[in-house]
Parts: sequence; structure tokens; C-alpha cells
Amino acid sequence: MAKILIVDDEEGIRMLYSMELEDEGYQVIALADGRELLEVVEREQPDCLVLDIKMKEYSGLDLLQQIRKKHYDLPVILNSAYSSFKVDLKAVAADYYVVKSSDLTELKEKLKAALETKIPTE
Amino acid sequence: MKSVEENPHNITQAEIVVGIPSYNEAECIAFPTEQADKGLSKYFKERSCVIINCDNNSPDDTRHVFMQTPTSNPKIYISTPPDVQGKGNNLRNLFAKAVELSASAVVVVDADLASVTPQWVRNLGEPLLEEFDYVAPLYVRHKYEGTIATNIAYPLTRALYGRRVRQPIGGDFGFSGKMARIFNEAADWTDDVGQFGIDIWMTTVAMRSHAPIIQSFMGKPKVQMPKGPAADLGPTFAQVVGTIFDLMCAYEEFWKGVKWSRPTAVLGFGLGEMEIPPTVEVNVQGLWEKFSMGVEARWDLYRSFMPPATFDKLQEVAGLPREAFEFPPVLWAKVLYDFACAYKKRAAPRENLIEGLVPLYHGRTLSFVVETEPMNTQQVEELIEDQCLQFEKCKPYLLERWAAH
Repeated sequence: MAKILIVDDEEGIRMLYSMELEDEGYQVIALADGRELLEVVEREQPDCLVLDIKMKEYSGLDLLQQIRKKHYDLPVILNSAYSSFKVDLKAVAADYYVVKSSDLTELKEKLKAALETKIPTE
Repeated sequence: MKSVEENPHNITQAEIVVGIPSYNEAECIAFPTEQADKGLSKYFKERSCVIINCDNNSPDDTRHVFMQTPTSNPKIYISTPPDVQGKGNNLRNLFAKAVELSASAVVVVDADLASVTPQWVRNLGEPLLEEFDYVAPLYVRHKYEGTIATNIAYPLTRALYGRRVRQPIGGDFGFSGKMARIFNEAADWTDDVGQFGIDIWMTTVAMRSHAPIIQSFMGKPKVQMPKGPAADLGPTFAQVVGTIFDLMCAYEEFWKGVKWSRPTAVLGFGLGEMEIPPTVEVNVQGLWEKFSMGVEARWDLYRSFMPPATFDKLQEVAGLPREAFEFPPVLWAKVLYDFACAYKKRAAPRENLIEGLVPLYHGRTLSFVVETEPMNTQQVEELIEDQCLQFEKCKPYLLERWAAH
């Protein structure tokens, strides 16, 4: 069972995503901010990270830069209500960029694709 | 291989090395040397640094100009033997010297760069002191510049090795001491790698070695002598493509296991200094003529190794009138994959195969130029990403054809 880590400061989003993705068979961990993100990634070893961009105290793009220093092989999906961040250079480090919607079809598709990506470790 | 070394300060250890490969660059080399010196003094002043000109025994006084350029950091001149030329051979000397100096970070900038700034040295060097082993450049480029990278090197390396490095043959790079040792000891060195195949070789070896890679945004456009995509390709095309195909043969067990691709982080230094790159004019009629006349003379070659469906589609494309010409990216991906398989099988002499690919490259470039004419940079980048996705989706075609050979 693939483990998905969601970071979003909106409780409603965390609940919706957790419910829908658990229904799809994923194990979901949800964080309300990026404070302990690096530690949680180290500890939980998620298979994919779904990261909000515009949060109260943290920028998802900056968190992504931090993540990439150590976890360059962790699939990351940027998930924002705004499409404008897509042109930010920092967003290139994400596997996918999905604009938030109450219909999670695209997010689920991208999750599936991100988890399918395979690069041999040796 | 090193044949000549001038090391007036008797430098035996350096944490940071800036390497400047050259051949007959007496007119240009002082500028990147000065910029490298400023970059080292400004951003790495607490560390031991050296600037190395790795030369091909240039007869034009490059050595003298380099050594006489005033710098606050020490300089070393090294050269290949008189009968050995090529950027790759220069860098091979640099790899060995970097290992000898126990360098932590090596930055390479071209000797004819008119746009290099001290920040470039930081951008390519700083990530190597953190977690990264290989730094590829990300320049602001005109949409018609670097079409070998856009239409061949980027989509192929991405689909093959699963890493998205937008400018894998950018020419300026950073690599760690660990990576220098890997390069220095790599067994798959060829004549093409010794020439301009070196850039794609380094990027591919870094990918194959699972090195942590980052792309560094350079801010300023890379300004050398701009050439349009219809200009004479010279030996560069054959050396780059030959190296890609050679590496496909060497690393087949690795790339066969790669599915889709992963992004590579971008370090966005100095976004404020972003400049508009110089316009590249394209001789569209020249591309058309090189494509149509080139394929006309080579149908027998293409027929000898392409499956009928791909060959028929190619003939259909060649039959399109100039004003409605289009070379679809899916067909381009299959054509490149077929050429790679033919190269592996030696379906024809390898130099003939690569020469036979040139008109098709001109055709795909023409199609790209026409399609992107009304587009801005962002739109063109999205189109390139879509082309890369087509290469990834066509990979089962490559796997099937490769296994059949």
C-alpha cells in the first residue's frame, strides 16, 4: 500500500484528500504545516508527497527546495488553488502541478503516474 | 594524458577549481579568467581555489594570455600532447588534476564565453558544497537556440535515464570531487567523448551514477557566437549523437528499467538579472532544402532498418508541401529510436547512419520552428515538455525494437 504524505494548512482539504485517497487504497498522513516536514519524511518514508504552495507560515515551493536537497527521488505533486505558481522556476522540481479542485480525478491520475515512475536503484 | 603543466605557485591542493577548456582562445580567454577570479574571490574567499586552463597545446598564445591575466587566485596551465585535441580530452586532464588536488568542487566554463559573470561561478559551484554532485546550467535561451539539445539530447536522455535535465549539453557545468573521480575512472571513453561528446557523456554518467543532480539558473543568456539551426552542424552533431548512441549500448541494462522520468530541482539564483537572449534568425528555406534533398538521397538507407509503418509515415511527411510541412514528435521519437537500434546492430556503417540522421533532424527542426513561431518562451517550453512525454510514451517501441536486434 503506497503511503501518501499531504501537507496543507486547510483542514477541509486534509479531510477530503484523506478520505478520498484512503478509499483508493492509499495510506495517508496529513500535516497542517511544513514545520516538521523533513523529519516526517525521514521517519515515514512516504511514496509520494502532495504539497500545498501558499500556506500561512510556509511556502510549499521553499519546502520543495529543502526536500530536494536530500530526497531528490521522492515524487512530489504541488497542489495549489493558484495556477500562477506553475511558472516559478522552483516548481520545476515537482513531478506534477495540480490546481486544486473538488474533483480529485486529476490528482489521483497524477498520483498514479508519479508512483509508476521507475528508475533502477542499481 | 597530460603532457605539459605550468604550475608556478606549486599548488598541490585546492578545494575549488575553475576549469577553462580551450583551443586557440588567445583573444577570448582573459575575460572568463578574470570573471572566474572575481567569482572565487567574492563567493569562496575562505577556501583554497585555483583556476586551471586545460588547453590543446594552442599555437595561438592562449597559454601566455591565460598565465599573464592578472588574478588574485593562483593559476595552473595544463595541455594535452601536441597531437591530441578536443574539449573532452581537455576535461579528461582536468578530471585527473582535480582528483590530484583533492578538489571538493570543480566548475567548468567555456573559454569563448562573453556572458560569464562571477555569479556563474557561484551558481555552478555552491550546490557542490551542499548535497549535490553535479550541476547542469539553465540559461535563458532563445527558442531557436540549442536545437540539438531541444530535439535530441534532452528528450532522449530524459526518456532513457529518467532524469529531466533541460540543458544536458550546456557546455558549462559543476561537479564534485567525488564525480571527478567517477569521470576519471570511467571506462566507456570514446573518440567522440574526447571531442564535443563530452558534455552529454558527463551528464549521462552522472545520471547513471545516481548522482544528486541540480540545475542552476544562470540568469544571463549564454552568449557565444550564435548560430541558427540551419547553419553547418560541423562535427558536433555526429559527436553528440554518436556519444548518446554509444552510451545507450553501454548502459542498456540501466535504461531498460527506467519508466517515465523524474524532475530535477532548480536552484534559482539571481532571478533579478534575467535578460532577454539575443534573437536567433532561422533560414527556413535552408532547413527545407537540407531536409528534402537529404532524404531523397537516403531512402534506401532508411528502408534498410526502419519498420514499414515508420518508413511509410516518414515518406508521407516528406511528401507534404513546404507550406503545410509538419514532422510530428511521435514520428521523430520513433525515427531516433530506430536509428539507435540500427547503430547498435551496425545496420550500416555508423558514420553513414549518423550522417543519414542529419536531414531528418533538419526536418524536425523546421517543423519545430514553424510550430513555435507565434509562441512565447513559456509556451515553447510547454511544447518541448509535451515532446518529451511523447518520447517517454514511445519507449515500449524502443524496447521492442532494441530486443529484436
